[in-house]
Amino acid sequence: MITTTHPHNARCLDLFKKLSEYIDQELDAATCRQIEQHVKNCPPCQACLETLKTTAGLCHRIEEAPVPTGLSDRLKKMINELTV
Amino acid sequence: MPTSPRKSSTKNNSNDTELVQAIQSGRIDLYQELVSRYERKLYNFGLRMCRNASDAEDLVQDTFLNVFKYLKGFRHEAKFKNWLYKIAASACIKKRRRLKYAPDQTLSLEDFLPGDEAEVAREIPRWTTIPLDQLLNEELAEVLSDTIHTLPEKYRIVAILRDVEGFSTAETAKILDITPANVKVRLHRARLFLRDKLKNYFEHDHNYPST
Repeated sequence: MITTTHPHNARCLDLFKKLSEYIDQELDAATCRQIEQHVKNCPPCQACLETLKTTAGLCHRIEEAPVPTGLSDRLKKMINELTV
Repeated sequence: MPTSPRKSSTKNNSNDTELVQAIQSGRIDLYQELVSRYERKLYNFGLRMCRNASDAEDLVQDTFLNVFKYLKGFRHEAKFKNWLYKIAASACIKKRRRLKYAPDQTLSLEDFLPGDEAEVAREIPRWTTIPLDQLLNEELAEVLSDTIHTLPEKYRIVAILRDVEGFSTAETAKILDITPANVKVRLHRARLFLRDKLKNYFEHDHNYPST
């Protein structure tokens, strides 16, 4: 992988704080445009945005474990006792 | 503008409302149905929060016990699911305090900034270009779950509610009794923490899935 020193400046740092809000569509249109314009010309910030987006997306797709049979049985017993 | 990853839960909520109202009006025989609807979600929430299956099971049992106790007073001002998670989250936080764990570490934004001398990628990392469903194999799911467990609790609970469970910023703020701004700050730091661990995993330990 090609690497380099990130020539980050105040602009990068300011937008870096807002990347999650950008991913979640919680920013106004003008700020979104600023971010889009900035990352087009700043590969390190673009890499940061893409890795953050993928991280959030992966979390959303983690599969659920099944409920252990013992727990289901305990809950049923508890509910029977509560509702009689 | 980015695209929205969220799905609508309006239908589930209206089904919950009918069921909860029936139980509130005396059909307590329907409580089992409500439990069946959420036991798996709550168990998985517990597993991600508590680190072990036995604590997760206790969390589910305590939560449903409290829900039964207080359901008469639930006024439908919030979605039932949000109220349920508020009870579960509160049980998690109380349990942790009882166990007298060390205080939560604070994640600083500066820890995640690339330093002036740091070498950073100029290319988009390959792992972000692979479709998520292909990328998330069993091994990565385990790495991600383990990494979520290593997040300090106040960040972990926000990451789980927002990114795993899919609650909005406003809903998460209400569940945790914190401000939406606080949710955003904690979520961003949690994602940066997880992102750094995943970056490390893909750079050092991982064989990519065949595409």
